[in-house]
Amino acid sequence: MAEQELEISISPAGKVTVHTHGLKGEACLKYAQLLVEILGREETLEKTAEYYETQEHETHVRVQQRL
Amino acid sequence: MSCVVVITPVLIASWPVMSAAVTAAVGSLGFAIVRNAGASQAVQSTAKERTKAEIEVADSEILQEAASSQTIVVEREGIKATFSRDARGSLKVCLDGEGHSKAELKRVGEELVERVTQQYVYHRVVTELKERKMNIVDEEVAADRTVTIRVRNL
Repeated sequence: MAEQELEISISPAGKVTVHTHGLKGEACLKYAQLLVEILGREETLEKTAEYYETQEHETHVRVQQRL
Repeated sequence: MSCVVVITPVLIASWPVMSAAVTAAVGSLGFAIVRNAGASQAVQSTAKERTKAEIEVADSEILQEAASSQTIVVEREGIKATFSRDARGSLKVCLDGEGHSKAELKRVGEELVERVTQQYVYHRVVTELKERKMNIVDEEVAADRTVTIRVRNL
């Protein structure tokens, strides 16, 4: 499993970009939201392919366990 | 990478915290602190005419405190910049200088505000991460002055 990491970039003008790595699905939103609350206002939020892949995997596992 | 969020900073702090950010930021632009006034002081005009410009940092709030209004004055090559809290509670920068156009003063002021903002954001991020016992494993400053902080053990 990829190591869980936050990469926080602060531009020369103070704008912040947060990349989350190795966090499954909604968990990455938790840390993104935390930083929004600490720092100011969300400008954009992009969920990458990895976000949706991990969600599908979790759903698949849950369905299999029910059967 | 799971998600990417871009955040516009809103500066909300007490005057001591804001003045610390100002103090840390202005040096990198060659400004020196003239005085840290305990009360609001008007910048005195000299005999020669000085051009003035003013910048209000819209996304800011300096928390009201019991002490009277505070100012920080910094100076560089004849340009004087006064940081203060305006009537609405926002951070304000008043610039004046001899031999500089209003546009030039405004550009210098915007650059100062950007540096202060970056300093404030950096301090806020590091403080909050440490309070939450999150592990900062790396910090890097790029050639364009972008600061990158890597955090593990979430």
